[in-house]
Order: sequence, then structure tokens, then C-alpha cells
Amino acid sequence: MNAAAGLDLASIPDRIQSEVQRAIQRSIKGVEYIASSGPSLGSTPKDILSVRGTMNLYHYRPISDEIYRVPILIVMATTNRGYILDMVPGQSFIEFLLKRGYDVYMLDWTAPKPEEKSLRMEDYVLDFIPDCVRHVQRDSGETDVTVIGYCFGGVLSLLYGSIFADGPMKNLICFTTPVDFREMKLFQNFSDRRYFDVDRLVDSVGNVPPEMILSSFEMLRPASRAVSQVQLWENIWNDEYVKSYRMFDRWATDTLPLAGEYFRAITKDLMWDNKLFNRTMSVGGRKADISGIKVPILHAVAEHDHIVPYDAAKHLIQMVGSSDKQEVMLKGGHVSLVAGANAIKRLWPKLDSWLGERSI
Amino acid sequence: MADKSSDPVAMWQNLIGEMEKGFNSFANQAMASPEFSKVVNQVGGATAGAQKQLGDLMEKYLVSMNLPSRAQMVSMAERLQSIEGQLNEIKALLRQVHNNSGAPQGGYTAAPKPPRTKRPPAAGGEQK
Repeated sequence: MNAAAGLDLASIPDRIQSEVQRAIQRSIKGVEYIASSGPSLGSTPKDILSVRGTMNLYHYRPISDEIYRVPILIVMATTNRGYILDMVPGQSFIEFLLKRGYDVYMLDWTAPKPEEKSLRMEDYVLDFIPDCVRHVQRDSGETDVTVIGYCFGGVLSLLYGSIFADGPMKNLICFTTPVDFREMKLFQNFSDRRYFDVDRLVDSVGNVPPEMILSSFEMLRPASRAVSQVQLWENIWNDEYVKSYRMFDRWATDTLPLAGEYFRAITKDLMWDNKLFNRTMSVGGRKADISGIKVPILHAVAEHDHIVPYDAAKHLIQMVGSSDKQEVMLKGGHVSLVAGANAIKRLWPKLDSWLGERSI
Repeated sequence: MADKSSDPVAMWQNLIGEMEKGFNSFANQAMASPEFSKVVNQVGGATAGAQKQLGDLMEKYLVSMNLPSRAQMVSMAERLQSIEGQLNEIKALLRQVHNNSGAPQGGYTAAPKPPRTKRPPAAGGEQK
């Protein structure tokens, strides 16, 4: 060892050889990358129970001999596709739940059509979610339903749960769900009411285009996209890395437009007036105070979430009226909390142990 | 194994990581200013308005060229989606009728529904 330089001279030929081999592999794999499509995502067998405009309700086919009594309805965020929870076999939250004996339904969204620009918050909270819950009840034959909401799907679930506080929601699980929108600092600044004319935007474009949603997410970490490309090239010899990159990159860029009126309500009621946190929120004239939620609730938050910072999410557990409530903070970011290697090791088993005993 | 502090590849990767963090942090500070919000929203508002006007203009142009406009293509896609939606509804209805009929499970819903009797494993027990 050359102590002065801290350099192991004997290892240099090996390192050079290894780097040359990787450089060759990069060239070969780089061509393969361009020529091939990514892995097939969201392929866990499912049936469509209901499709109505932007709303899609799926039922995943059970794979256990015996299932828990209470079915699960997953409410996906309206900005993104549900296959983040069903990537590929072995990395699918849905598959995990099915293997652990849960009966799983998902409310997923497709891009709202131009004539759906008039969909309002009440259409989501008072129509789509209750309609899906009714379908789940009818299909499963059970009255009780566990609701799992991811990100803004969690906000919709909270609104639903606070309005329909007498049931049939039996348990509520939220992933990275904001309640204090003042703490979403950059989004707050992007939508500063002094400069952001939401009425003009919605009136001129109808549905808010996905490019705008994607840009606002990417602006939270402006260097990360370029760096991820560099890292992809460095690791392109590594099939597992490339597979993972393609899955997450495809999902992250597969952003949905938002219905105009719904976006207007989010901006005014949540971003500007912070009504959920201030307990002044109402949907379709019905008061939606989350202190009315009394069912068992689990809130999973990520330590390094740059989209929903902890400060925006931390009040949820304190604000709900449930006596059986728990917040769990896990390592990872907004997406890796629910999908990927960290999720498999951390969140999924935790959720299973919490939910199993509340699903009988 | 080579010491990571002397490995040029590890050093490069570390450098990239640090640069990413530094740039993101710097950009986030800049974007948190009201001036940034003002400029972005002025540009964004103007762009949205311009896009709308351009869209209207293109639509007129395509009509004059006897070509389908975006709105017409979207309308066709909507009709297709609507047909798909109706097919799905028919499928769901058939499934419901099939389930209610008590017919043997050999068709569309091949797997019988498992019993809802599962209990959580005892503490420390293995999952099936």
C-alpha cells in the first residue's frame, strides 16, 4: 500500500481490467437497452369490476387457499398509475398481499378525458370511492372494507372516511399522506396565490396536462434526472439495476393529467387555504373533518420523502379521532417506501402484521 | 479489496452523488423565493395561453386540409374507450350472472372463491 497516496498499487491492473470489461458490457447492453422494451408491469391476474370514465376498479384473483374476511380497497393517487404497487413478480405489493391471504381490490385511474374536466372533488370522494366500496361489498359479500390510500389517494381516503365515518370502512392505511399543505414548501411556492392564476390555467387548458404535473415533481429535485441517466450508463452492465431503473423510470414518467375542476379545488382548498389541516374542509357541502375518523389507522411515512415531507404528513395521526392509531416511519423515499427492495424488507411485513389481526 | 477512499470509480460516484445533492439543495433554495414563483407563473401562464391559441389555429388548419383534427382523434379514442367500457361492463355482468347461477366454475371465473376464514399467524409464527 502506498501510504502517502492511500492507493493500493497492486490492485490497479485488476481495476483497469474490470473497468475495461464493464466498458465492453456497457456498449453491448446499451444497444440491448435501446432495442428492447422494459419489463411487463402490473401483470398480476385481475378482473375489471367496473370502469366509469377515469375510474377503474380491479379485483386481483386470490392465490391463497384461505383469505382474510375483510377485503382491501387500494385507492391510488390520481396523478399516477397503480402499477407502482404491482411491478413484477417478486417486487409486487399486490402479489405480496395476495400471498399473505388478503382479498385485494384497486381503484386505479386513467387519464380523464377532455369532457371530464368538470370532475370535482365531490365526484372523487362522494361518488367514485363509495361506488367502488359498494362494488367491493357486493363482490366479496362482506360489509367491512379496509381502505389503503397512497399519497393523494390517502387524502381522498381521509376525506371519504371523515364523511362516511359510520362505515363501512373498517381500517384505514395511508402511505405518505399530506395533511398540512403549508409544509409542502416548493409546491406552495409554485402555486403562490399572488402569482399562480389557477382559474386562468384551468379555464384555458381544461384538464391539467401530465407534462405540467411531471415537471412540478421533477423540479423538486432538478439534478436527479440527469444524474440518474449517468448512473444508468455506469450500471448498464448490471441487468438487475437496468430492470429496476426501467420499471421506476417508466412509472415516474407515466403521469396522469388532472381533471381541471378537481385541480382547482386542490389548489384553492388545500394548497391555499390548507382546509384539511384547519378542519374547515368540506366536500359537496359535507363537512370533512378527519377528527371524525375513528377506525384503526396506520400511517406509513418515509424518512427521506422529498414529495411529501414529514412535516406535511406528521399531523395525520394526531388529528384523527381513532384510539387505535399508529405512525411508522421507515427509511426510504416517497416511492421506495412502497415499492422496491426497501419496501419488501420493511413496509410490507410491517403492514401485514398490523393488518392481519384487524382483518378477521 | 481496494480501499474505497482510493478507488477512482468510487470517488467519481461519490462526487456525482455530492454534486446532485448540492445542486438540488441550491436549486430548492432558489425555487423557494417569491421571485421564482412570479417568473415561473408568468412564463407558465403565457405558455398555457399560447398553447391554447396555437391549438385552435392548428385545428382550423387541419379542417381546411381535410385532415382529422386532434379533437376528432380524441373523440374517436373516446368512442373506442366507451366501447371498451361497455365490453367490460358486459363482462362484469356475465360474471355476476355466472356466479349467481351456481353453475360449475369452469368458465370465465375459473377459480372458486377461497373461504374467508384466514387468521393471522400466532406471534413469531411462519406465514403460509
